[in-house]
Formats: sequence, C-alpha cells, structure tokens
Amino acid sequence: MTTEILWWIFAAAIVGTSAGVVLSGTVIHSAIFLILSLAGVGTMYLFLTIEFVALVQFLIYGGAVTVLILLALMLTRMGIGGRPEPVTGVQAPFGALVAGALMATLIGVAVSTAWPGDIGDSPAEVKIEQIGEILFQDFGAPFIILSALLLVAFIGAIVIARQEDGD
Amino acid sequence: MVPLENYLVLSGIIFSLGVYGVLARRNAVLVLMSIELMLNAVSLNFVAFAAYLDPDLITGVIVAIFVIAVAAAEVGLALAIVIRLFRNRSTANVDEAATLRW
Amino acid sequence: MGAEEAWILAAVPAITFLVLAATGRYLPRQGDFIGILAAGAIFVLFFVVLADFLDLGEAAWPIVNNIAWTEIGEFELRMGILVDPITIVMLAVITTVAFMVNVFSVGYMKGEPRYWWYFAMLQLFVASMLLLVVADNLLLLYISWELVGLSSFVLIGHYWERRSAVEAAKKAFITTRVGDVGLLIGIILLWEATGTFNILEIIEAVEAGAVGEVRLFVTMMFIFLGAMGKSAQVPFHVWLPDAMEGPTPVSALIHAATMVVAGVYLVARLLPVFEVAEGALLVVTFVGLITALFSGVVAFAQTDIKKVLAYSTISQLGFMFVALGTGLVGVGMFHLFTHAFFKALLFLGAGSVIIGSHHHQEMGQLGGLWRKMPITAMTFLIGSLALAGLFPLAGFWSKDEILHAVDSHRGAWAYVLISVAAIMTAFYTTRLFIRTFLGQPQDAEIHSHTRETGPIMTLPLVFLAILSIIAGLVVFNGVGDAIGFPGGFPEFVFLHEPERFHVDWGLVGFSSALFVIGTFGAAWIYWRGRLDRATAAARWQPQLSEMVQRKFYFDDLYQFAIDRGVLGLSYLVSWFDRFAVNDTGVDGSANMTRYAGFVLKHVQTGRVPNYAMAIAVGVVALTLITLAVRN
Repeated sequence: MTTEILWWIFAAAIVGTSAGVVLSGTVIHSAIFLILSLAGVGTMYLFLTIEFVALVQFLIYGGAVTVLILLALMLTRMGIGGRPEPVTGVQAPFGALVAGALMATLIGVAVSTAWPGDIGDSPAEVKIEQIGEILFQDFGAPFIILSALLLVAFIGAIVIARQEDGD
Repeated sequence: MVPLENYLVLSGIIFSLGVYGVLARRNAVLVLMSIELMLNAVSLNFVAFAAYLDPDLITGVIVAIFVIAVAAAEVGLALAIVIRLFRNRSTANVDEAATLRW
Repeated sequence: MGAEEAWILAAVPAITFLVLAATGRYLPRQGDFIGILAAGAIFVLFFVVLADFLDLGEAAWPIVNNIAWTEIGEFELRMGILVDPITIVMLAVITTVAFMVNVFSVGYMKGEPRYWWYFAMLQLFVASMLLLVVADNLLLLYISWELVGLSSFVLIGHYWERRSAVEAAKKAFITTRVGDVGLLIGIILLWEATGTFNILEIIEAVEAGAVGEVRLFVTMMFIFLGAMGKSAQVPFHVWLPDAMEGPTPVSALIHAATMVVAGVYLVARLLPVFEVAEGALLVVTFVGLITALFSGVVAFAQTDIKKVLAYSTISQLGFMFVALGTGLVGVGMFHLFTHAFFKALLFLGAGSVIIGSHHHQEMGQLGGLWRKMPITAMTFLIGSLALAGLFPLAGFWSKDEILHAVDSHRGAWAYVLISVAAIMTAFYTTRLFIRTFLGQPQDAEIHSHTRETGPIMTLPLVFLAILSIIAGLVVFNGVGDAIGFPGGFPEFVFLHEPERFHVDWGLVGFSSALFVIGTFGAAWIYWRGRLDRATAAARWQPQLSEMVQRKFYFDDLYQFAIDRGVLGLSYLVSWFDRFAVNDTGVDGSANMTRYAGFVLKHVQTGRVPNYAMAIAVGVVALTLITLAVRN
C-alpha cells in the first residue's frame, strides 16, 4: 500500500519534471529538470527491484550525461545569464499534435493489450549475479563491441570538438 | 504493487514529451535533452517488460544497460557537434543550420 | 562447267563489280579492261552453257539446281537456278548486248567523270540481271529485281551534277517501286495459296487447281503490276523517257535490251499461271495495246533522238505484252530477242551521233549526217529498217509472228489496233532517220564539226547490225536444226506444244504493206528536210498537237497528284509529328518531370526539425495503420 502511493507520487514527479524539460523557458532550467527526471526514473528501477540498473542510471545519466550537458551549455555560453528562450519553435502546434497522437496510441495499446503469462501484480526479483552471468555469457560479444563503440565515440568527440589553428 | 500497464503508460507519456521536445524546441542542446528523455522512457519500458514478463531471461535488463551506455556515448558525440556548430555560427539554433538544402 | 552451273554467269560480273568498286579508281585506265574482260568472259561462257544445255537433250529440260537455304518452322526455302529455253534466250540477249555495250562505253565515256564507277555499276547490273533470269524461285527473282532497279537508279543518275539527272533517277526508282510493291504482294499471295516460292512448284500447284479463280486473277494482277512498272507500260511509262538522262550506252543496255524486258520475262515465266487465271491474259493484251498505240503517237512529237527511241521502246514492249497475251510465249520471246539487238543498235548509234556531233541530240540541230558519219548512218539505217519491219530483217519476222498470233488467238479488233501501231512504228522510225541523217543540215556550225566516231564505237555497231539482219532467221526450222537446236524458235520456246513455223505469204504481204505505208508516209512529209507539211499538220489541230507534245499530260497529272495528295498528306503527318509527338509527347513528358522535380525539391529544407517531424509523423502513421489493419 505504501509502496503504491509512493509510486504514484514519484510517477507524478517524473511526469512533471519531464514536462518541465520540454516546456521550460530557459535552457538551464531544462537541464535541472532533466537531472530530476532522470533521477526519478532511477527510482522507478528501484521500485522494480532491479538495483543494478538503478545504480547504472544514477551513475551514468545523473553523473556523466548531465555533467556533459551542463558543460556544453557553459562552453556555448548559453548558461550565462540564463537568457529566456522562446518556448516554441516554428512547428510547435504540429509537433504537439503528433506527440499527442503518439501518446494516445501508446497508452491505448498499453492498456488494451492482454499481456500474456501469469503476471502477478508485483515484479519478480532479479539477482545481480544473474545479470552478470547473462551479460558476460550470452551477450559477451555485444558487450565488447559496445566498449569499442565507446572508444570510437569519445575519439570522435575529441576530433570534432577540438580547436584547430586559426579557430 | 502496481500492474505492468502503469509502467507502460508512464514510459509512453515520457516518450511523447520527449518527441514534442525534439519537434518543437529550437535550442540544439534542448533537443538533445529531449532525446535523452526518449531513450530513458524506452529503457524503462524494457526493464518493466523484463521484470514482469520474463524474469528468467531478463533480456530487457541487458537491453536497458546497453541503451544507457550507447545513449551516453551518443550524447557526448552530439554535444561535440553542437559545440562545433556553435563555434562556426555562434548560434545553437537548429533552425539556423539550414544550408544543406535545395 | 555446264548448264547446271549457269549461276557462274552471274557470279563473274558480281565479283568484277566488287573488284572495280574497291580498286577501280587506282587501276591503270581505271579498270575498263577488267570490265570488258568480264563481259567477254560471260559472252563466251554463255556458249559453253548453251552447248551443254543442247547436249543434255530435250528430256532433261528444264534444268534445275538448288540448295537448301534455310528452314523456318516447317517451311524449307531452297534457292537455286532454273535453266530452260526462255532462260537461254534471255542469257543470249544479256551477254551479247552487255559485251557490245561494255566495248562501246570505252569510247563513249572517255573523259567522263567517275569512269571506273560506271564500269563497276555496269557489272553489278549485268550480274543482277543474269541472276534474275536464272532464278528458280520468286524470292530470288525479287531480290535481283530490286538490284536491277538499284543499278538502273545509280546509272541514270551517273551525271549527278545535273539536277535533271538526279530527278530522273528518282522518278525511275519511285515509279518502278510502285510496281514492285504490287509484285511483292503478288508473290506473297502466291506463296499463301501454294505454300512455296519455287516457280515450277507454283505452276504445278496452280495447274492442279489449288487456287480459286478470283483469287488467282487478283494475284496475277498484282504480279503484272510489277511487270508494268519495270517494263514501262501505261500508266507507269513516265520514267523511261526521263531515264535518257543517263549515259547512252546505259540506255542501250538497260532501257532497251535488258532491264525493261524483265517484266516481259516475268510474265513469260509465269505464263502458265496467267493462263489458268481467267481474264488475266486479256488484261495483259489490253495494257500492251494501249501502251503500243499511246507511246507510238507520242513518239511523233519528240525531237530528241533518244526520246524518240525511248517511246519506241515503250511501244515495242507493248507489242511483246500483246504477244504474250495470246498465250504464245514463243512469239513474245522472239520479239524480245530481235528487239534487243536492233534497239541496242539504234541507241548505240544515237550515242555515236552524240559523240560525233559533240553532244547534240536534238533533231532540230542535226540533219544531213549521212556524209559525215557514214558507218553510223549505215548501221542506224539497218536498225531502223529492222524496227520498222522490212523483209527479211529481224524485226520483220518477229512482228509478223505477233500479227499472226493476234489474228488467230484474239479478235479482229486487236489485229486492227496492232496493225495501226505497226504503221506508227514505221512512221516515227523513218522520221527519226530522215531528220537526223538525211536532208539539209539544220545547223551549219554543228555540222561542220561533226566527225565519224572511232572503231571502238563503230565496231559494236557493225556487229549489232549484222545481228539485226540475221537474228530473225532463227525462226526457220532449217536454220534452227543447223545450229543444234531442236528446230526453229517456236519449236524451242513454247508453252504447251512446239509450233512448226511456216511462212504465211499473205501475212508477209500485209505486213510489208504496213511497212510501206508507214515509211513512205513519213518520207513524203519529211524528205526534203523541210518541215512545212509537218508543221501544217500540227497547226491544223493545235490542241491535239499540244496534247501529244505534252505526252498526254501524264507527267503533269502525276506531279499534281504528288503536290496535292502526297505532299498534303505529308504536311499533315509532319504537323502531327511536330506537335503531338514532339512537343507534347517528348518535350511534354520531359517538362512534366522537370516541373515535378522543381516542386518536390522543396521537401529538402535542410532543417533538421522538419526532418524529425517527418520521421515522427511517419512512425505514428505507420503504427496507426498497422493497428487498423490488425484489427
């Protein structure tokens, strides 16, 4: 019972902060809202009792990604002074329409589908050892490729963003 | 606990908000943040499926881990591009970068 | 080599043509000796073939020799040669006249441009003509028919620097083309009815009754159209007088002795089929009569010596068709045989006059050449008398035979008409001779410069003159037996059964009377070289005279039809091509594509949010569609 109420509170918070990300007037505000939203989703993972993913979420999203974003904001001098941004671009109404349609579709599908299996109302417990086993045994190759991808990505980022002579 | 549909509806809402952000906002970094929201929603979705429907195989959890890692890499790269764009044009407005046109 | 290898007679000039066409320009004397060698060779080889033919005996005729050419489904096409008495007659004519013309051309064409090409084309012509007469199937015949027309076209237009020569060549080709289409349709109809192209098989099938009457008649009319075109029968005669633009030896070879008789040969070859078709032979006779009379009249008003001879040729071809129309192939072929020699002689004689008087051929500028060009005049006289039908020259016998045939196989009406034509022949021939060679010279300047031509030109004239005298005597059985034939000409060339020739003295008298009327009539008008009587006659009936001079307005009629009909239609078609096909179809579709591209390019705005919107909309739409379809 308590967990349920907590869940609903956190769910509302996530929705609110996500709305704040996309509807906020200043970029910095959006960044703050993003951090909160990501944190909220991390707690969702906790509710699902998969602590490992929650940990990864907090560390990477909350740590690395948000720092990156804030860093980029500062480098491009958008963070200074927090100038108000126009909330909507040119195609805002149409975008709202599309997003609304998408939301309706997703919710409609989610609610109306008869999910198979004998689902209880509670999620199952997943042990971290189990994750490790499957990750390194069945998904070993993708894991290694992923590390190569990360390497390529950060080399690429360095190459793109570096200052050349004359800049 | 809450049924599965709740998680699915929640992730649907977050995803849609992210889509709106991508389509309607002008600042490049904001667009990237919206993309992060979308990816987040997707990971939530996968993990929810894994927990409720497939506890033995937990494929969804693995996918979510990969998505998070790839998203991090991608945002790093994308921000590098935004920085470069800003350096060339001194604006981060996505509407302004429109030279690859007819 | 024997009768079975008669195709070699066609191969020799064909190879010579290739050699001359490729290298003639660079050879010494531009290769004319090669041409003469080839012509002489086939002249000799003809006798070889003839000897072998006679050796094999009557039972072996006709001699066939063919090879499998191709197979199309179940139909097997065989190509080969067919040698029978008709073929032998044609071979004799072609090889002899070709040889004489080749020798004569060395003198005539001296100094003319494209000398080597002229000899090359002569060889090509001889090759195709020889192929035509030995062909055993209608396809091969048609191919060589077209080749003959092509050579004629090239040779008529030999002096293509002259606009009139180019026009004449075009006219010849186009007029005969109309006939050729008819011939092709006829060949196809025959194949459809009998299932074969082979001439002997066709004759067999038709005689066995394989084809319906009306159908056969229509088919043979189409084939006769081809003959009419090539042999310049009315109304297809208009090209032959214009063809005189070509060098005179060409006129002698092609337009007197060989090509124009291809139509006669065709009808003679297919005469058994013509006989089976009811009424076909009557049509042939009719056309021949009209042509003979018509062109005889027009010949009265011509002043160019070559044009007179051209209309005379048309008229004589009409005689040949009248003869064939009686069903007696021997009579028609006999006139073909004799006519070839004296007409070639007359044309070469005209050529000699042209060269001797330094390129003048109008009777108004000639006259009194008897003293200046004795050999030419003498041989021309012999040729004229043969044409007019003086006993016992060659032309007399063949014309006599025709009169006899018409009398016994057609009605009195045909007999009367052909006799009138014979009188006209004598008349215009005498007129030609008197005005050119006798009387006072019309132009003293030209007359003083005129000389006799060299032996290279006069020797062929003499040879042909001798032939004009004696060629007719082959009609006698005794003569035929003596030289190895089974009898006289009618016993050699016949359709159903050989006819023994006997002299009908009444007929001899009658035709001699015709000769006398015609000749003396002309002499009385033209003798003194004064034209008062002639011009008086012309002034007596000015419209008639005008009509004759304008050749009965045939040329004008055709020109009008072409101007209004053909060109009008082509304006219409070209309008359609320009506006409908080009502007709308080709340009239109291109413009449409370009416009579509112009409109569509605006999709590429270059702005990422737009692209993102496109993706989003696409995803949503697809999802909704999938959901809708699933349910």
